[in-house]
Amino acid sequence: MLPDTDDAAIQADAYIDALLTGHRRVPVSLPASAPTSGHSGVRNAIRLLEKGLPRFHPSFLFEEWLADQLRRRAEVSPADEDHAPARIVPFAVIRHSATPAGRLADKRLIVGGAIASGVSIAGAAMIAWRWSRN
Amino acid sequence: MLRRGKDRASVLVNFDVDRSAVEAARRDPRAFEALYRKYVAQVYNFALYELRDPHAAEDLTAQVFLRALGGLPGFREQGEAPASSFRVWLFQICRHAVSNERRRARRHPEASLDLALEVPSADDVQAEALDREQLARAWEHIDRLPTERRQALVLRFVEEMSTREIGEVLGRSEGATRVLIHRALQAVARQIGRGSDAPRH
Repeated sequence: MLPDTDDAAIQADAYIDALLTGHRRVPVSLPASAPTSGHSGVRNAIRLLEKGLPRFHPSFLFEEWLADQLRRRAEVSPADEDHAPARIVPFAVIRHSATPAGRLADKRLIVGGAIASGVSIAGAAMIAWRWSRN
Repeated sequence: MLRRGKDRASVLVNFDVDRSAVEAARRDPRAFEALYRKYVAQVYNFALYELRDPHAAEDLTAQVFLRALGGLPGFREQGEAPASSFRVWLFQICRHAVSNERRRARRHPEASLDLALEVPSADDVQAEALDREQLARAWEHIDRLPTERRQALVLRFVEEMSTREIGEVLGRSEGATRVLIHRALQAVARQIGRGSDAPRH
């Protein structure tokens, strides 16, 4: 069983919920365990606060001023990288050498690359052939 | 949503109603305006109840939203405390800002209750027409409470937060928050009792 304080707190909480829900014009029935005569002081306090504490709204001028401040701040705020949409990164443009020496170096690079690829393929074929004979 | 574990036990997971708006604001900070419009009055209310000065409440509201916008990439929605939802996180920022403001304001005389009560004109009050005396009494009663009790009552009755949400804002368990609110109500009830016993002029 719950201690008396907890029990009373739960009842008061349910009572507040019921009143606040009623405040939004939704039909509700108060819980049977709502604070009764023994807790009438708490019940009166709940009713006073529920009716007596109003909601205020900031002035229209202030609300628009702050909205403008936030818009300006948002313009310069970086988006969260984890949540930002993916960006397309263009491939780097390959610039061909303009001078004859540069063009020769490019050709050497291409020829060297082709020879290296050929040797690699031949090596792989050799290894495969030897494994197949064992 | 129900999540099933290995032991087939079901665990209730609460999702933030503002999740899509928060995600949108993370992708594009300009989308933060939707969250601002939704919560500006609530934050302003809390600030006004705490500081009792409309200008200070406006300054604090601006601080809170500018901080929230700047800190949004760091906010992570969690199923449990400490910040289970955007609203809870926003009010945590607000509460810290109020504490800082109170510390700063100790050097200056406090604004009187009358000043705050004169602020809301008939246009400002959202609720039905209020008995001014009733408003003054309610305000006076909560004004005498210790900070945490007062904040808990304002969050419960003005912001209409659940006990669980209030607990997360205050950094307490749901049960402890329920008892805190109940004790605050008992204190208000005692004040009402004293008030009704006092001779009327």
